[in-house]
Amino acid sequence: MPKLKIELDVNGRKISRETDAYKRLLDFLRDDLNLTGTKEGCGAGECGTCSVFVDGKLVKSCLMPVAKASGTKIETIEGLAKPGDLTPMQKAFHKTGASQCGYCIPGMVMAATSALRQNPNAGIEEIKERLGGNICRCTGYTKIFEAVELAKAVIAGDMPEDALNEDAVGDSYIGHNVRRLDAPSKVSGRLRYAADMKMHDMLQLQVLRSPHPHANIVSIDTSAAEAMDGVVCVITSADVPDDTDGFGVFVHDQPIMARGVVRHVGEAVAAVAAEDLVTARRALSKIKVVYEEIAGVFDPEDALKDGAAIVHDYAPDNVVKHIPVRKGNVEAGFANADIILEDDFSTQQVEHAYLEPEAGIAYVDADDVIVVISPSQNITHHRHMLSHILKKPINKVRFIMSPVGGGFGGKEDMIYQGMLAIVAMKTHRPVQLNFTREESIIASAKRHPSRVHYKMGLKWNGEITAIQFNMLSDGGAYGMSSEGVMRKAAILSCGPYEVHNLSVDTTAVYTNNTPSGAFRTFGGMQAQFATESMMDMAAEALEMDPFQIRRINMMKIGSRTHTQHTLTAASLDRCLDAAEKESRWENGTPNVRGDKRSDLGGDDTRAPCTLGARFTSGKNSDKERVA
Amino acid sequence: MERKLQGRGMAASWYGIARTATIDRAGAWAELDDGGTAKIVTGVTEIGEGILTLLAQVAADELGIKPSEVTIGDNDTARSPEAAHAGATRQTYMIGNSVHLAAREAKKHLFEQLADHWDVEIDTLQSFDGEVWSNDTNLRITMEEAVGICKARGVVPVGSASFTAYGTGLDPVDGSGSPWQTYVFGTQVAEVEVDTYTGEVQVLGIWAVHDVGRAINPRGVEGQIEGGVIQGLGQALMEDYQTVDGHTTTHGFAKYILPTSLDIPQINCTIVEDPDPLSPLGAKGIGEPALVPTAPAIMNAIYDAIGVRMKSLPATPEKILKALKDKVPGREMYVQNARKQRAQAHRT
Ligand code: FES
Ligand code: FES
Repeated sequence: MPKLKIELDVNGRKISRETDAYKRLLDFLRDDLNLTGTKEGCGAGECGTCSVFVDGKLVKSCLMPVAKASGTKIETIEGLAKPGDLTPMQKAFHKTGASQCGYCIPGMVMAATSALRQNPNAGIEEIKERLGGNICRCTGYTKIFEAVELAKAVIAGDMPEDALNEDAVGDSYIGHNVRRLDAPSKVSGRLRYAADMKMHDMLQLQVLRSPHPHANIVSIDTSAAEAMDGVVCVITSADVPDDTDGFGVFVHDQPIMARGVVRHVGEAVAAVAAEDLVTARRALSKIKVVYEEIAGVFDPEDALKDGAAIVHDYAPDNVVKHIPVRKGNVEAGFANADIILEDDFSTQQVEHAYLEPEAGIAYVDADDVIVVISPSQNITHHRHMLSHILKKPINKVRFIMSPVGGGFGGKEDMIYQGMLAIVAMKTHRPVQLNFTREESIIASAKRHPSRVHYKMGLKWNGEITAIQFNMLSDGGAYGMSSEGVMRKAAILSCGPYEVHNLSVDTTAVYTNNTPSGAFRTFGGMQAQFATESMMDMAAEALEMDPFQIRRINMMKIGSRTHTQHTLTAASLDRCLDAAEKESRWENGTPNVRGDKRSDLGGDDTRAPCTLGARFTSGKNSDKERVA
Repeated sequence: MERKLQGRGMAASWYGIARTATIDRAGAWAELDDGGTAKIVTGVTEIGEGILTLLAQVAADELGIKPSEVTIGDNDTARSPEAAHAGATRQTYMIGNSVHLAAREAKKHLFEQLADHWDVEIDTLQSFDGEVWSNDTNLRITMEEAVGICKARGVVPVGSASFTAYGTGLDPVDGSGSPWQTYVFGTQVAEVEVDTYTGEVQVLGIWAVHDVGRAINPRGVEGQIEGGVIQGLGQALMEDYQTVDGHTTTHGFAKYILPTSLDIPQINCTIVEDPDPLSPLGAKGIGEPALVPTAPAIMNAIYDAIGVRMKSLPATPEKILKALKDKVPGREMYVQNARKQRAQAHRT
């Protein structure tokens, strides 16, 4: 590979190095200089986790070839403050709780620092716009804004420096805003996530993924890849014992790598371990896979039809799971209703978009224990499944949970740890796999999309007499968490209301789409989106206030839930009262009356924005705004 | 019609805490250590929610030391007790309570030694923020000294605990069962502005009210609510993972649109505390429930603003414009029907 001599100044130190010419500034900082505070969230200039200063300007280092950085002055998150110290901005992030998973935080701190360097008097609107190139998936940005405003005030001398200190404790640490103990390591970029870890003699793993949604694998020829200089091993499903190969949160229907058939685009087919990443990537193109494409099924309703392609032989009807819930007598309930509303609702597939793509390391330790380090959200279950798959006693498989750069349920599936373990066993060398963003998006589970058919009967006084709720969900190619998601959706379906007569069915089906799995609320939001929309429609039909119709039906202590569980505690009354009061809710029926309300546009809302309108120039004039 | 219209909507929600329709469990070990510090070992790592800080608070409060003096061991299946998965809004409830109980046991061993050493009744002993004392006496020492005394008497103050949440499976025919032992409720109000020329929706305000049982770290609770609300907003208005015949067309963040700093409404959080009677801490959870009511509250607000009901998420500008175009003047059919029926019912 062509080499390049690079001379530059990084965090005040002169660096002169020979490096590979293909590298981006990001790779040079992370791999050559070990400055792993700068993260790779997307590699495409879209997330901002890789933000650094180049000659004082905020730059996305994933977009800059290292050659272009030669001769410049670079500042990274590690260089903002001396080791052990934090800048006022970093302290402000600590104080306000602006870091959660922390993966976006080094980039966010750089962007925030840049914002105040550009304009120490920036108003909140300008600050927001200057942070616009940095994505945070965890915090909802609110505490980040608060941190920047706090830092601004302290730097300007408008607030004393001790405003950045922790609040004094009263008589208990419960209920006290203790500052996050992990924040200093996150705001300074010191915390190492799995992709930031290095081990001596470590291999890099790359995965060959299916280009087809549904195909038989006729043959896989790995010989040319194996013959390449620098390739240490190539694995396929032939390296996994076939009688135990299967994982999943509920049903173990997913092989470590495709076994004879691929069921979705992006499914792992083979993997190459090599001395370095580039060799591993090149070797992928030398693996010859002969596929025989077969008909696929891409719509959950089609999946249920006779003659639909069958995704898994064990489920010839393509049903992953159906959950029924019945209570009372629905027919009688509808007969007793004064009005019946009926409608359909749908929700989309949603990507978790945690800023940290999947990453992991595996090695075999001195006691012959196979160790996997990864940001797994369920190491207990992963250890169980992997020990079974590898046919090892459970104490010979060890999972370590590395700091998770966002999960939201998306890191509950063991979609890559098995490949790492097998390579470690075959080579007895440590091995690392870091997903790209594109790989993370096609290979990991999504939020279940849903289609709900809803029928609700009510009395004129607002009382619900019966509900029929039918949800169909696309589970995608593998079972993952579908069963649990359908169960939770069914249990929560009709919302926080005591409904005496109900009939609920939730069904997830297999298709050849990207699998759906666990995602924050686990089916709860899809179901309650439909219910809460229906409640609003009912309020309008009955000319009632939305709070009122909910109070009429809400669960209370002693209510029986949809699954006939008698509640010994219930706080919806308090939540409704507080929401009505805090929002200064104006009573009335939902309809087109927005502009007639007097509760709009209060101090507790933000101003609507026009892009580009926020940068105030020296002279403040509306005319100078850029549209 | 004016170009920009505002409106408000609300939605309520409920959620269950910890694993669903099964028994959930979590274990923890605790040790009061030299220097008046403590070690807590349990199967947990931060996924961003703040659990490590929360556990340090729980342990510190129970032991009577500072949170910064608590060291939490790594989550490692070979080195720490099982606390199972980081999900299901179970970390505060399951692991918080097991750490609380383990710390309580470690403290009990320390207090037994100290009570004997001071010749006082054990229930006169108290500790907080690094000090240990006996009520109504002038006996007061640091936790460091207390641990020293305990160890000099030959006892290492350790504790361990397991916490259980009793859920039951669902009946396969009628789904009956008690899936969780504790539930939380919430309500959110959204205020939006809709640009009827472009179809763009801006959420200007969210009022989020959630019962969390007991807020161990109120700022952390707010952080979870704010993050949940914005994920809900993303799903409501822009996020859309799409495939064509199984091939994704949204492979990166250029195509898969996420909320950024410019999309953020003012979020006004109100924490309701209805302590859980079935667990020592009284805390429940907030991770997932925070997201549930956001999208429907926003859709209901859009309806309030422009009179079209978005039943298919996300409510993108294209969908809003189409809905506005298809809208028949006046109220929706079901509303008109309901009115007619009601008038009839009153007449007869
Ligand atoms: S913007 Fe560079 S990694 Fe995302
Ligand atoms: S804290 Fe911003 S992405 Fe997790």
